[in-house]
Amino acid sequence: MDKIELKNLLFLAKIGIADKEHPKIIEKLTNTFDLIDEMNELDLDKVQPLNNPLELNNVSRKDSDNDRNAKKDFLENSPESDEDYFIVPKIIE
Amino acid sequence: MNFKTQREKFRSKSISAKEAVQETIKRAKTDKLNIFINCFESEALSKAEHIDNNFAKFKDQPLSGVPIAHKDIFCTKDLITTCGSRMLKDFKPPYDSTVIDNCNNAGSIMIAKTNMDEFAMGSSNETSFFGPVSNPWSENLVPGGSSGGSAACVAADITCISTGTDTGGSIRQPAALCGITGMKPTYGLVSRWGMIAFCSSMDQAGPFSKDAFGCAALLDAMASYDLKDSTCSKRKKICYEKSLNDNLGNLKIGVIKNIEDLGIHKNILNSYETSKTVLQGLGHELKEIDFSELSSGICSYYVIAPAECSSNLSRFDGVKFGHRSAKQKDISELYMQTRSEGFGDEVKKRILIGTHVLSAGFYDAYYLKAQKVRRNIKNKFEEIFKDVDLIFMPTTLDQAFEKNRESSDPNRMYKEDLLTIPANLAGLPAISFPNGLKNNLPTGGQLVGNYFSESLLLNITNKIQEVTDWHKMTP
Repeated sequence: MDKIELKNLLFLAKIGIADKEHPKIIEKLTNTFDLIDEMNELDLDKVQPLNNPLELNNVSRKDSDNDRNAKKDFLENSPESDEDYFIVPKIIE
Repeated sequence: MNFKTQREKFRSKSISAKEAVQETIKRAKTDKLNIFINCFESEALSKAEHIDNNFAKFKDQPLSGVPIAHKDIFCTKDLITTCGSRMLKDFKPPYDSTVIDNCNNAGSIMIAKTNMDEFAMGSSNETSFFGPVSNPWSENLVPGGSSGGSAACVAADITCISTGTDTGGSIRQPAALCGITGMKPTYGLVSRWGMIAFCSSMDQAGPFSKDAFGCAALLDAMASYDLKDSTCSKRKKICYEKSLNDNLGNLKIGVIKNIEDLGIHKNILNSYETSKTVLQGLGHELKEIDFSELSSGICSYYVIAPAECSSNLSRFDGVKFGHRSAKQKDISELYMQTRSEGFGDEVKKRILIGTHVLSAGFYDAYYLKAQKVRRNIKNKFEEIFKDVDLIFMPTTLDQAFEKNRESSDPNRMYKEDLLTIPANLAGLPAISFPNGLKNNLPTGGQLVGNYFSESLLLNITNKIQEVTDWHKMTP
């Protein structure tokens, strides 16, 4: 992993790390990928991937409203809200 | 005091729930190990009064009148739930998680929320925003993680039961390092609703106690079918506490062939050999099994867990709840600054790994391959369980280690999870129990069972604890 790859990754993950920390984080990530890469020694061509240990069927329910109006609770937890809306910085110039 | 005695004191009215809470809080206030993130004294006292006033209703509940501490990963209505992170430092959930709900209904009284690795990512409890927890056996050592606070709480005799979650060993490893009993149930036995998500296909909540009896009673309370968790099992509820009395007959128990090649410390191997003798003494047959696939579990886990973590933690954006950065000119900067300030180093690292393995061009090389390894591990367990009823192995490679070791060699810490991760990948139940004291520090033994074999695992651990006293040793 190089500095350009790291910058792209930080952009995708929406995480900021100061430039001077980049060599250290590159080293940490490279170390972890060295561990992960041990997987390449295995012959996995004929193996089917496994998503979930119990391979359960999805559960569905009727899409109906209930008597709990949680809007107020959730808006109260927001760092900034106004009546019915979450407030964020202006998006359109 | 062990769980059975604590509950019996309430049931026989020799102590009220309120008195039990007062005594527990007194002990909690003297804590010097940084076990708790928040204590809830007044809420606990009023809940205890409610239980005392409704004695007849709660008397026969599995956790009647017993004070409990919950890992700070379970949402508690109107009470701060941090998940060990600055991101949720002041977060008050508008609802109780199903585990909290179930434990409340079962007559327990929550006195505090316990410290943990940030978002359950860590094996030493050092990644918590609220500082590391110390091991009750020695303050220079870690208690293990991520449920380190919950394990230390029981080991330090503050409460006799606590809850934890286990994604790669986060219940079993701290149980082993603190000298108590802890169980990761089958994936889907306990509802994940309201339990802050790290790796949804592996996260599973479970009990801590000194012994299998306490774990059985707490699991009786925790496990339930829950419509709000689509992966929750619909199996008929069984009473684990009652099943402790079942006759086990003679079981065939798999033990790992050439275990000395896995880099396990001699203290752990010594305890392992001793407990094998105990199992034989109880009439069980030991059979060597080949599990060379064990080590590939680590590689798979460190792809799948960060991948799911990067997806789960994308919800923390400073808009709907949690921390919001004050430095923000536009929406992009709001996300970036909020996440940079709110997450600690280990969480950031795992998000970056997860983002990388899921990004275009790398999916087949990492994520798909890791899922194939996961299938291999599951198949291997299926093959083994055709031959044996249970598998016995150590819980960890070594005993509790000194703080600050991670910075020198992070991969060594990841590899510590070698023996716990396979059960998470396959979704199998496993229990860790104390199996000796070496250099005045506990060691842990681990039994892994087939799907939904919790009663068997708890029962055999209980039988071991009837003929040994490792679980009675205290710091």
